[in-house]
Amino acid sequence: MNRFVVALFGTVVLAQDARQIVEEVQKRSRSKSQKYEGTLEVIDQRNKVSTKRWEYARLGAFGESRSVLRFTSPPEVKGVALLVHNHPDRSSDQWMWRPAIERDQRIALQDRSTRFFGTDFSYEDLEERDVNQFDFKVLGEESIDGVACWKLESRPREKKVSQYLYSHVWVRKDHYVYAQIEAFNKTGLARKIKYSDVQNVQGLWTSKVVEVFDVAKKSRTVLKFEKLQYNLTIDADLFTLQALRRAS
Amino acid sequence: MSLLVFALVLQAQTFEHRGFMEFRGLGFPQTTINDSGHVVGESLLRYESSWRPKPWLKLQSGFDARFDTHRQFDRELRLDLEDRRTQRPALSLRRLSLQAHKGRWTAEVGRQFIRWGKADILTPTDRFAPKDFLNVAYSDFLAVPATRVTYENGADTVDVVMQVRFVPSRGPLLNQRWATLPSELDGIAVRDRGAQYPGGVQTGARWNHVGRGYEYSLMFYEGHNHLPLFNAGLESLQPLAIGVQRYFPHLRQYGGDLVVPLRWFTVKSEVAYYQSKTSDVDEFVLYVIQLERIVGEWTFVGGYAGESVTQTTGNRLLFAPDRGLAKAFLGRAAYTIDTRRSIAFDIAARQNGKGLLARAEYSQTFGQHWRASAQLSLIRGDESDFLGQYRRNSSAALILRYSF
Repeated sequence: MNRFVVALFGTVVLAQDARQIVEEVQKRSRSKSQKYEGTLEVIDQRNKVSTKRWEYARLGAFGESRSVLRFTSPPEVKGVALLVHNHPDRSSDQWMWRPAIERDQRIALQDRSTRFFGTDFSYEDLEERDVNQFDFKVLGEESIDGVACWKLESRPREKKVSQYLYSHVWVRKDHYVYAQIEAFNKTGLARKIKYSDVQNVQGLWTSKVVEVFDVAKKSRTVLKFEKLQYNLTIDADLFTLQALRRAS
Repeated sequence: MSLLVFALVLQAQTFEHRGFMEFRGLGFPQTTINDSGHVVGESLLRYESSWRPKPWLKLQSGFDARFDTHRQFDRELRLDLEDRRTQRPALSLRRLSLQAHKGRWTAEVGRQFIRWGKADILTPTDRFAPKDFLNVAYSDFLAVPATRVTYENGADTVDVVMQVRFVPSRGPLLNQRWATLPSELDGIAVRDRGAQYPGGVQTGARWNHVGRGYEYSLMFYEGHNHLPLFNAGLESLQPLAIGVQRYFPHLRQYGGDLVVPLRWFTVKSEVAYYQSKTSDVDEFVLYVIQLERIVGEWTFVGGYAGESVTQTTGNRLLFAPDRGLAKAFLGRAAYTIDTRRSIAFDIAARQNGKGLLARAEYSQTFGQHWRASAQLSLIRGDESDFLGQYRRNSSAALILRYSF
């Protein structure tokens, strides 16, 4: 009996630790807004490289944010935009804007596992992950690229519709930033996301290079952040469906 | 020096531009009564720019320059500001509008594209979107000169449009293959006698609501249909000739659309009721219901477009591709092979079995700027059917596009 109570208590402590770690990650990376220009290199399994660029802006943080992402190159996709409204208690709402047909299109939940416009990000990967939409537990401690990390498991809660059954998340102990995520769906490992080039930007430790590997496609996308800024004044009017049309 | 300063000023005020140069070669294995050509070559240069002198103010413009081998495009090098002629203009002002935004209000004045509706395969509520049907199988939207005021308040958006000058859809040319003439007219000259364009303004309003897990809109339109009816009369006996004149009937339209993402599919639906004061026009309801699903690299869209005529006049002298695609099963499947290549299949099959349009397309990008596409279109059916009448217009096309 006593052994059972001790084991249960131990599990609760570990679970709390995992949540506390991720809460600390969120606390340390919290900003009221963000803006950057991203360069994406998509490298397919035959090592053919295609380059894309987008501009990204976010207002709010973790579960109560709105973001818009707009391609600036190549010319063929220039102006294509994705609007994301993140919610604290459920999956995000997403709309795609295609300037060629001057119309927006709602991205349904069941379609979020699709690759986003020829990159290795899925639509779901472009949502913000709020700590309250997942359950966590500590799996252990490991090093990624020589940096000590906590290895956690995260599972989406019931209200969070996700293509992923669970993920393994590595959090750097030095700056409380993500080092790596391995996301698993019902067939196994689906995506591997690696964060590198960690820099202090306006007091926030930030990975300026994110590499996503699509296991099934054997394709990877490297996203590099440029002109990254936090806590700027951004007009809330930029994050509406009408704003997509106005900006096209 | 002054040019440099001007360029720097433009840079500071945000100037953006994009466009493409496209070459299209179409091959038709069969000739038609009014067209003995087998091959058509087309080229298009499109340039679009936007300039934002103030954060709340934006000027948008777009120009098209075209040339073709088949004289479907005008060869007169003058800038067409109206887009009303039967031939596609060689140089045209695609759009020119000024947009102002303040708080929840957005106003846009000038030649612009206005797209309403949520369905993809047929959009009966897309009222301010006339089309260029020189090639019925590959139509393109035309802009309209209008004032559009939009008020957005959270989940609700109200759109009010006043179109100050009528823009007709461009129909097929009488001496080209997409104007299908009955075999009884073989040897009889058919002459275009122009059009009677309606005056006054076209007005419309639309309310759109974005709910938690659904979206819907309601719309109203009062104006004229951009698709024509025809007056036909004997022109001369020697030689025997018939004159045809286009006119555009009054139209009052009520409609709505709905999007509901369900567990397995996204359901999109659109319905519109067409009413008219013009005496020889049918009153009818057009509706579409489509299911959409993305599975891995596949996108599937399938649905049914229906029509219910509430009052008929029996007038058959009309060009109505929207009604022609009704009472039909419509579908599209697209597959992304990799980041550079994709294939797509489209089908429209009339439920009476008298008309079928099937298309396949393979597309591939080369580097950052080039895209090449190959298309095959198969049209089959009966002369009495809207789709079937184009049964001699099956084609193959090669398209090369340079985007900048």
